Order: sequence, then C-alpha cells, then structure tokens
Amino acid sequence: MNTKPFSPYVPRPVTLVEKTKLSDFVTRFTFEQDNGKPLAHKPGQFVNLSVYGIGEAPFSISSPPRRTHNTFEIAVRKIGAVTGALHALEPGAKVGLRGPYGSSFPVMKFVGKDVLIVAGGLGYIPLRSLLFYQLRHRDEFGRMVLMVGTREPKERIFVDEIADLAKSGDVEVLETVDMPDNTWKGNVGVITTLLPKAELDPGNTYVAMVGPPIMYRFVIAECRKKGIASDQIFVSLERKMKCGLGKCGHCQINELNACIDGPVFCYTDIEAYQEAI
Amino acid sequence: MTTYTVYKEQLPRLFEKWSEAHALYVPARLREGFYDLVPWKPGLEIAWDFDVAYNSPKRFLLPPRETLITFNRKTCEAAPVFEAPAQILFGVHPYDVKAINQLDQLLETGAPDQNYVRRRAATVIMAFEPLTVSPSAFWATVGAATAAHGYDLYWTKIGPASFTVEVGSQRGEELLAMGGPLLPATAGDKEGARRAKARIVFKARRSGLRYNWEETPRLLAKCWDSPLWRRYSQMCLACGSCNLVCPTCYCFDIREEADDQLEEGIRYREWDGCMLESFAKVAGNHNFRPKAQDRYRHRYFRKGKYIYDKIGELGCVGCGRCVRACTAGIANPLKVFNELWEETTHEH
Repeated sequence: MNTKPFSPYVPRPVTLVEKTKLSDFVTRFTFEQDNGKPLAHKPGQFVNLSVYGIGEAPFSISSPPRRTHNTFEIAVRKIGAVTGALHALEPGAKVGLRGPYGSSFPVMKFVGKDVLIVAGGLGYIPLRSLLFYQLRHRDEFGRMVLMVGTREPKERIFVDEIADLAKSGDVEVLETVDMPDNTWKGNVGVITTLLPKAELDPGNTYVAMVGPPIMYRFVIAECRKKGIASDQIFVSLERKMKCGLGKCGHCQINELNACIDGPVFCYTDIEAYQEAI
Repeated sequence: MTTYTVYKEQLPRLFEKWSEAHALYVPARLREGFYDLVPWKPGLEIAWDFDVAYNSPKRFLLPPRETLITFNRKTCEAAPVFEAPAQILFGVHPYDVKAINQLDQLLETGAPDQNYVRRRAATVIMAFEPLTVSPSAFWATVGAATAAHGYDLYWTKIGPASFTVEVGSQRGEELLAMGGPLLPATAGDKEGARRAKARIVFKARRSGLRYNWEETPRLLAKCWDSPLWRRYSQMCLACGSCNLVCPTCYCFDIREEADDQLEEGIRYREWDGCMLESFAKVAGNHNFRPKAQDRYRHRYFRKGKYIYDKIGELGCVGCGRCVRACTAGIANPLKVFNELWEETTHEH
C-alpha cells in the first residue's frame, strides 16, 4: 500500500525527449511521463510545469490524447522566467508536472456536426489537441474548417503541418496575417475577415476558438451574425492559473475559476459575466 | 449541547495543562486600542474586553508564508511538506469563527488543500463572546453575530470571575476536563450567557447594514457599473492591506527558492492580494484587472456576491479590520454596501 502522504501541490517528474523550433520565439517540447503512463488528458486541458528553482507555470497541452503512449507536447513562447528556463533545457532534462487540469472541448457534442476551429496567434497550440483528436476519428465529423490568424508571417507556427492539413483535404484551411511582408501571398487582415469567406451551415456548426483576449468579442460577434447560436460556441480563456485547484484566486473570471470551471467554456455559460470576454 | 460553569481561578491551571501539548494563544493588549492573540505565558494579563484581534485568525491556519514542497533540482523529485502544530486559539470572537468556517468550506472542498486540512485539524478553537464592539465593526448586521458550529468550546463571561462554557466537540470537553471535575451550568448561569449575548448583539447593531444582508448579492448584481467603484478606488494605493487583515481573504501566490548550491529547494505559498496591481497579470504583461477600480470592485463582489453564491453566506463577516487598516480610508464594506443600497433604492 502506498502510504506516502498526498499533496496536490507535488509535481511528478517528466523528461524532455524532443525540442523543435517553431518560430523565433516559439518552441515545441515533447515530454515523456517518467511513470510510464499516458497523460490521459482531454483536448483543451492544461498542465502546470515546474522548472525547479525558477517556478511553475500553466501550459496548454498541444498533442491529442494518447491512450497508449506516455508522451505529450506543449508549445511555448519564450516570454518570461519559466518559459525562458524551459527553452534552455535539452532533451534528457527533467521537469515537474501537475495536471492535467481544467475543462475540455466537448468533442462528443461535435460528433456528426461541422466544426469551425478559430485559432488566433498561439491559440493554435491548444486547438491542435482538438484538431488532431478529431482527425483520428475523421469520419465521425462533418466539415472541418480551420481559421488561423497571425500578426506577421514570421510569427506563424506549425507552418508545414497546417499546409499538409490543407493538402490532405480533411480540413478546409483559411489563413490570414494582420501585417503582411513581401513574402506573403495570402489573406491580409484580422481573423474576423475570414469568417465571411466560409460558407457555414449555422444550425449544424460548432465553433472552438482560442486566441488573444481581444479576439473573442469580435469573432463571437461574427459567428452570431452568421446565425450560430451561443451554445454552439466554445472558447478557451487564458488567465493566471497558479494553483490549478480553484483555491489561489488568481484566475477568477467574476466568480468562476478559469482553472477548474474553465479554461474551456460554452459561450452561453459566460455571456453574462462581465470579466469573461 | 452540554454547558459548564468555569471560574476564573481555574484558568491558570487549565492554561498550564493545555500549554504542555499545545501552543496556546490568548487575547492580550498590545497598546491602547490594539489587541491580538499572543502566546500565553504564566501571569499574562488576558484582555477579556478586546474588541477585535488586530491580526485575523487565518494566520494560524494559512500562515503568511508556508512551505508546500521540497524539491531536488537534479532528480526532479519533490515531496510534500506538512506542518500542523497542535494549537489552541483561546478567545476567538464568533465573527472570526464564522470566517474560519468559511475558510474550511472553501479550502477543504473540491480538491482539498491538504496543508490547510492538517493545520485546521490540529487547531482547537475556543470561541469567546465579545464584551466590546470595535468602532468599525458591523458583524451583527451581516449574519455573523452567532457561530452555530466551528468551535470546540464557547466561552461567555457571565460575571466578574465566572464563565459558561458550551461544549462544541468531544476534544473541547476533554480539554476542559483537564482542570478537574466539571460543574454543569445552572439554569441561571445559562440565562446569564444568553443575556451577555443579547447585550453585545444589541450594542453591535448600533452601526450596520441598513438592509437585510441576504440582499447583498442581488444588490451587487445591479451595481456593476455604479460610479461608486471609481469614486472610492481613485484613492486606492493598491497596497493590499485590506486583503492582509481580512479573515476571509485567502488568495495566495506560489514561489520558490533554491539553496546556494542550486540543488535542493523549497516551494512555498505566500499571502497575495487581489488589490495588488500584478494579481491578474499574465505572461506578456496582459493584465486582466489593470485598473484599481477593477480590482476594488472585484474584492467587494467577492465578499458580497461570489462567495455568497457559493456557500450562502457573505464573504464579509463585519470584523471591521479592513476599515482600520486602510490608510486611504476607502476600504469599508459597510459604507460601500450601504451606499450602493441607497443608490439603487433612490433610483426609482
């Protein structure tokens, strides 16, 4: 019998097995759980990662759930202390892990429906978990439309992967950048300019969106304009998740805790909360 | 529940006995008008008539800084740290008992906070009926005059040298019995306790909410855009003093430090405050509550609505500590709630 006292604050060790540069600032990290078990997460959930001596920070899981394998991926922008320390790690290094935490995209609801995935900036990272989970069960869903918006072409991430998706025919891909350079041949404008381009069946379409805080209001308005009901719209909201247990208070959205009530919310459930969108 | 009568002369012996196996804290005067629970030592004069303890009792259950884990940077192994000293808090006013009950409800449910759970289990609460009311307190009008549970013993001073002690737990009764044979309270003594309670509640009602406290969440629901938030918060220094002294504020930050060899380290939590500028700031410097007004409103919504919606009680127990701690004179739940009430009533 395991008599070691339990504390929800104790991370377990995971090992970095692969590190792939995605852009000047964003890197994909593949970890392996030392306990040999799959992470058993759901698309949209997050983990708290510890670089001991530096700190702990929350990261969305970027890989789809794997039932038989103990690896998982996150993709991280180098922007602070913990993310800086993560970027300095080399394969073989160990970090601490708590989670997975939080709510997830209700994939079962999407079965038989068209799904629109709206990814602003780094929002593609958590949505990738949903996207590839659905692709594994591609026959069970209707159309899959992916919209990707990035500030500048050089900030695009998973470029080859997204190009492959478009080629495969499994996913209809629409992309835009806010500020083009002379290499960019595609759409120009904020992500909301993509919505009128897609012909959607509003009664039959579910939307999953992740992006910078400013994005939600506008994309939701466009979706509503198209006739997509609030209860068909799912958003993942970033806040300062610290404890992951609904205790420390940092991630509150009015009375909701983004770490346990979210990060994924049905828009109907948060429409009335002033601090949400 | 059984009630006993205890005489003042029995106390030194009881305190002596209790302090053998517990850290015992009792109310004492720090200086004119300032009281706190301090470690008991023989001969210490107990401030029976303290109006409010300067520090809230949360510090005994959720210390300002508490180690959560130790870690090894090389192996990436981590282990929990639990500290739960046996302690007796003698002299906790009912509004503070209510505040502790609230912490119990919020920290021990969902994913129970094991550090809190253990500290709480090792803490004996001896409630004490107040004899004076702090000028800034309004507990009698926010449903916090009476604590129905959450104490091991409930002490009421019924005469110059006598108390009734109501038993709240078996642990409490056993501690009381350490002083020798127990004397069941007479009907007259119990009546004395009832009167003491009625007298102090009457006094405490002199200043308070001008409406039924249970209306607060409905009131706040109408007041998100009230000009009051700006009016008060423009003076806010964002110092977090109101958070620090509040018996129900429990938000914390998690930090860590490594030893000088960068091998071993500890991760600890520290009190944090939603009034501080960085509280909701994430990587990339996006701040979800950038303005003092946002943070000020959040705190009052938390006290008056969010907590209520969760547990059916106000997050403010009316102790008045924040009123006294605020150097800008703007932390005042009583004034805020009353003014909002007035605002919404006069609208029609």
